[in-house]
Amino acid sequence: MQRREFFKKLGVVAAASSIVVPTMGFAEDKPKSPNEMSYKTALDAITDGKTPIKSDKLKLKAPEIAENGAVVPVTITVDSPMTDSDYVKSIHILSTKNANSRCADIHLTPANGKAMLATRIKLGGTQDVVAVAKLSNGEIYIASQSVKVTIGGCG
Amino acid sequence: MGKVKSLIKIKPKKFKNGEIVKVSFMVMHPMETGMRKDKKTKKIVPADYVKSLKFDYNGKTITTMNVWESVSTNPVFTTYMKVDGKGKLTVTFTDSKGNVNEKSKKIKPKG
Repeated sequence: MQRREFFKKLGVVAAASSIVVPTMGFAEDKPKSPNEMSYKTALDAITDGKTPIKSDKLKLKAPEIAENGAVVPVTITVDSPMTDSDYVKSIHILSTKNANSRCADIHLTPANGKAMLATRIKLGGTQDVVAVAKLSNGEIYIASQSVKVTIGGCG
Repeated sequence: MGKVKSLIKIKPKKFKNGEIVKVSFMVMHPMETGMRKDKKTKKIVPADYVKSLKFDYNGKTITTMNVWESVSTNPVFTTYMKVDGKGKLTVTFTDSKGNVNEKSKKIKPKG
């Protein structure tokens, strides 16, 4: 190999590696959530233009301080007679700062007897947990609680 | 992946017809977010989570759920159900890879 050619090739390799490597490293450090959705978009999709009301009927129970963000117990109850004419259609759990704001939705029928959903969610950091309940008469209730997370659970 | 372990729990254990009982459904599922990196291989673990659940009781769908990856590993979902005669409660769940599993429990009200 000629000395001139060798330096040319060396230059090309150096240039290529300097461009490719940092971008790849960055992409690996911050993988994207498969269904990323911001809190505002998720809330707008649920409320569909209506204004949600803060009501005492909707109760959200979550810890104020969660030691481990990977397991945060959340309980939502809605005070409703659950009859054919007046029942809770759905309950949604949202988080304000997770990459995918949506956590879980439940669609209820009068056969449930009581409107309640309890599960455990992951929180990436200190943020608010929001509960939204949709009623059969078109009313939308909202409740939120801030949860302090000492160890993150997402990513 | 083989069969996913799951469990339906009803509280209280003994109930009467017409009573409202607590139904807990547990699944042994990794609930991968698709954002976590394996510490050994340094590769991103692909997303794998329970996507939807369906509760059928005596041939009637009483509850459906949509779930995303921000629910904890080995999730538990608790809700209520009104007992309406002898029958079977079946929970069908689908994960993001398209695997469909189901679990059922007999409902036997006393009195």
